[in-house]
This record gives sequence, structure tokens and C-alpha cells, in this order.
Amino acid sequence: MEVLRLPLSASQKGKLISAGYTSIASLSSISPSHLALELKISETEALEILKSVSNGSRLESTSNSHTIVNGAQSAWEMLQEEETLVHITTSCADLDNILGGGISCKEVTEIGGVPGIGKTQLGIQLAVNVQIPYDYGGVGGKAIYIDTEGSFMVERALQIAEACSADMAEYSPLYRKGSQACEAKMMQPKDFLENIFYFRVCSYTEQIALVNYLDKFITEHKDVKAVIIDSITFHFRQDFDDMALRTRVLGGMALNLMKLARKFGLAVVILNQVTTKYSDGSFRLALALGDSWSHASTNRIILHWNGNQRYAYIDKSPSLRSASAPYSVTPEGIRNSASNNKRIKNT
Amino acid sequence: MGALKYLAEEYAAIDANFLQFCASHGIFSVEDFLIHDVYMLVASADQVSNSDQLKQVINQLLSVIETYHQPWMNGLVLLEDREQNKHCLSTGCNSFDVLLQGGLREGHVTELVGPSSSGKTQVCFQVASNVAMKLGGVVFIDSGNSFSPTRIKQIVTRIFGSVGNQVNGIIQQAMRNIECHAVFDIYALLNVLHQLKSTLESQDGYKVRLVIIDSVSSLIAPLLGGGNAQGHALMVSVGYLLKKLADRHNIAVVVTNHMVSGEVGNLKPALGESWKNIPHVRLQFSHDHATNVYGVCILKHPFMASGRSANFIIP
Repeated sequence: MEVLRLPLSASQKGKLISAGYTSIASLSSISPSHLALELKISETEALEILKSVSNGSRLESTSNSHTIVNGAQSAWEMLQEEETLVHITTSCADLDNILGGGISCKEVTEIGGVPGIGKTQLGIQLAVNVQIPYDYGGVGGKAIYIDTEGSFMVERALQIAEACSADMAEYSPLYRKGSQACEAKMMQPKDFLENIFYFRVCSYTEQIALVNYLDKFITEHKDVKAVIIDSITFHFRQDFDDMALRTRVLGGMALNLMKLARKFGLAVVILNQVTTKYSDGSFRLALALGDSWSHASTNRIILHWNGNQRYAYIDKSPSLRSASAPYSVTPEGIRNSASNNKRIKNT
Repeated sequence: MGALKYLAEEYAAIDANFLQFCASHGIFSVEDFLIHDVYMLVASADQVSNSDQLKQVINQLLSVIETYHQPWMNGLVLLEDREQNKHCLSTGCNSFDVLLQGGLREGHVTELVGPSSSGKTQVCFQVASNVAMKLGGVVFIDSGNSFSPTRIKQIVTRIFGSVGNQVNGIIQQAMRNIECHAVFDIYALLNVLHQLKSTLESQDGYKVRLVIIDSVSSLIAPLLGGGNAQGHALMVSVGYLLKKLADRHNIAVVVTNHMVSGEVGNLKPALGESWKNIPHVRLQFSHDHATNVYGVCILKHPFMASGRSANFIIP
């Protein structure tokens, strides 16, 4: 039954099958008015059905001699592309090291941790860092910040932007290669704030609607390179009666975000909360939203306390080794942890 | 198939008279014809004027329908097919191969199930690299942006055993054998699989030995349950398409699945009871965080006892 493959509603498929149209070939040479008569539907609906059929067959006919499946790329080509990908630095050298340079574009990264560990701080730092111009080793893009908890403080963002701009001014002689007389424009703190698109979301329906709308928004603003969602859990944790519906909705949202990241080559950063899980006789901290959500992200980083120090631990990644790195939250933003000087015990 | 009048375009004998005769019995499509009692149809054809012609057309239609199903095979033919065509693909990891008695078998759909971060994607990378280096083409269908060319290059370099520029050509060739396609909804997946099927049917040159879908559950899970009536139908049609690809074209198919909580707090594989019968082999993965050792256990296998397990590490 080839018509089952088409993205149509169940009632439309039922009508097609009962009228005897079970293969795509039988639909290819029929006019919309004829189809409308046979299925007893409106002509616009028949036109839509035929359009989805022709979309599908158009994808098949363009043949690329290199790959078996259209739209596929060989691993070698992807490797060449990956070497040109830039990472978004987190301003903490240790964290950048374990991440292989920073948060990678084209992937969905989930960051979770207990309250107060610095998730929102990291989110704001990334929203500022994505704007670092290409000449200074950054991505040079804009950021979308989706706030569900109301924890985005503009004053703090301004503070971090000022520190970033001061850092860039300090390092600019190092970056200016002598041969290229490129005048890298100095970014003022308020330029940073201008390039952050802020959305405030107050319910889960707004959240789902916004994620669906992002595709259109980013097509209009092509230089967006980071989408930060802080936090994705908040509206889904309280008062959601139907757990199965929650899992389905979250699964659909995750696929949407993956598609955005891949299609536009941007980094999607999702901040998550934690919950306790009882396993093997002990209570462990685990990220919220359940087991099925754990497949929504490409990489997962868990932030936790170890004594007095904040640590970031890579929990899941297809290409990075599991590692842990300390970091600290300073008035300038996220930086290396101050206690890098190891105290040697005098025996 | 479908409406009888479309068959009329191909076979001239099915003319307007015959169509009218069928319509008088309520037969409009091939399915109606198959369900209807043929003897009754022939008997009523006798009472009409041009009965010989009608009976001839009925016979012809029956023979046309005969060509639409696969021929019957006996056990000996199946055994020969299995020995000649359906080989085992080595996974590159010794303990895994020993557990599966040779490796992944062509013609089987193997499911890797396990909680998050238990090694499923890494095993997929490992198998893909091994097959691409030694045996043939690999198609990797990725639904979570988890395909990492850097990691593949690492694994291929390690399999080849030495580092250096002179082996670059071999690594390049191996990586060219792996194709990655990103899909984010079930219709795109069905399109890709159908395209693959038609390409394999039309051309014999390029040999695809392995198809990996990582992960099929994230594409199907949003559709199951709720008011959506199509979810199960789409899931089962994907399953049958994979089995058909595996069997007809001698490909090993690997899919990954995640786990959900079942009764009494245990974890069970996602996608429910209907999906359970689709893979031929089901392997459950686990990861011991303390010792960094991964374990794999057989949940279901056509000819091996379930419960056998093995451990391995991922370098």
C-alpha cells in the first residue's frame, strides 16, 4: 500500500484506498477535479494530495551518481565539512578542552544540573559568545534565547557582554595577523545585546508553538547561530496529567530541534532540571523528563558540585570521551576555576 | 493493482463488457475480485450471452494475479540460499562476534536496545567502520544528529592498525563507503527506504551490505498512542519494509531502540508489543559506570538461547 507512505491524514488515506488508489503510480496521471469527484472531497483538498505525491516523486527522480540514496553524504565528505566547523567557546578553557573546542554547531546539546549550579549563567555566556566575530575565533552569529522561567537578567547579560568586549580588546593585537589589514570592528556591549533575540514563554503550548515557528524565523534571520532554551522542563513538569501525551509531545519537539540544528547549521542548547531516581537500591540524581527524553539530545553535559567546586561532566556524546572539567562563575561570566594551583601536600 | 480499470490499460482483453459484468457483481478493484468466489462468478458468466469470452478474461486475470506473489520455496532451497547468500558480517569486536556466532547475519533485522549512553551508537559506528573497510557499502540513517565523522575516522584508523599518510587513501575509501542520511520524521524514513529499494532493484553494481537506523524509536514513538490512528500502521510498514530489504537484497539491518519503564520499575524496550516481532535478533545493552564495561545480552534470537551475554569495552 504505497499511499500509506504519503504524509496525509488517516481519513484521506482511507478514502484513497477505498476508491482503489493504492499505489503512487495510479495517482500520478490524474487531474484534481477527477480525484475530487471520485473521493467526494473538495478540489483544493485533491490538489493538496496530488502535490504531496509529486513532491515525493520529485525527490526520487533527481539522481546523484555518487550516493545510493538522494540527499545522503559519504562519511568522507562529512569529515571535510566538519573540519571547517567552528565551535562556540564557553570562555572556560578547561570546559572547551573536554568539549573539543566548545559547543559544536549542528548538534543539540543538553545541559542539566541542580539549581544554582550556573545553567542560566552558562546560557547567557553562550548567547554572548556566539557573537564573537570570526576574526577573533568565534562564530559571528546572533542568538535566540527562549526563557521559560523568567531567569534571564538583562543587567547580567550586559555585565557579561562588557567583560567579553574587554577581553576582545585585550587580545586583539594577538589576533590581528600582520598580513591582513582587516579592521575587526570593536563590538560594544550594547551591540551584543542587540543581537540576542529574546522570547518569553509562559505555558507549554506557547513553547511548542514557538519551536514550530522557529523554522520560519530563522529562515528570515539567517545569521542566527545559537538557540538557547532555558529551561525546557519547566512547563512540562507541573500539572501535566497525561504522561503519555507528554512523552509524545516532547519527542516531537526534540525531532523539530534536531531538524533545526541540522538544517541551519546552528547550535541548540537545552537547559534541563534534575530529579532523583531510585535505582539499584540507591537514589541518584538524573535529568528530568524521563528516560525517553534522554534520546532527544546529541550531547549531554551534567553540572554538579564536588566539594566547593563546580564540575561539568560529559554524560553522553557520540564523539567525545567522558570527561570532567571544573569551572567557576565569576562577575565576568563563566571562567576557569580559580583553584587551578594545586596545593601540594607537604608530607 | 487497485482499480480494475487500470489493469484494462495494460491488458486489452479486460474490456468494457468485462468491467460492466464485474460491476454488476460489485467488483471494482482487484481486491474485490480476489475476495469474490470465482466459481460463482464463472457460473453467473454462463448465464450471460458472451460467456466464453468472459470466462477467458477471468482466467487471464487469475494468471496475471499469479505473477504478483513470490514463488513457493522448499526448505532445501532456503538452506542453499542461506549458505550462499546470507553471510555473517563481523562486527570488529571479538566478544561480540563470539556471542553472535560469527557476527551480524545478512537477511536479519537486528535490534540494539538499551538505556541512554549504553553504547548502542558506538557499536553502530564500530560495525559500520568494519564493514566499510572490508566488505562493502554501508547506509547510515541518522535521526539524532549523532553521526560523527571524526569518530568514524578514529575507529577506521584503529582497525587498520597504523597511522601515517600512506594509509590515508585506504581510510578515504572506507569512509566513502559509508553514506549518512539525516531523517527527522517517519515519512522521510519511508521515502529513503523506498528509494534504496528501487535503486537496489534497478542496478546490480554497487553492493550495500549494511543498513543502520539510529534510532528508529525516536521517529516512531511520537506517533504511537493518543488519537493518532496511523502510528501502528506506519511502524509495522517500516518493519516489513526493513525485513523485505534484508531478505531480498542480502543486507544486514541494524536498528536502535530505547527503553521505557515497565511494571515494577523495570525497564523494557520501547515501541510496544507490535514491534516486538519485527526484529529477528534483539540485543540488550547495559553500561556499568563504575568500571566502564559494557554488557550485551541476547533477548531474542532465531536459533540461540536468550540470556547469553558478553562484556566488551569501547576504546
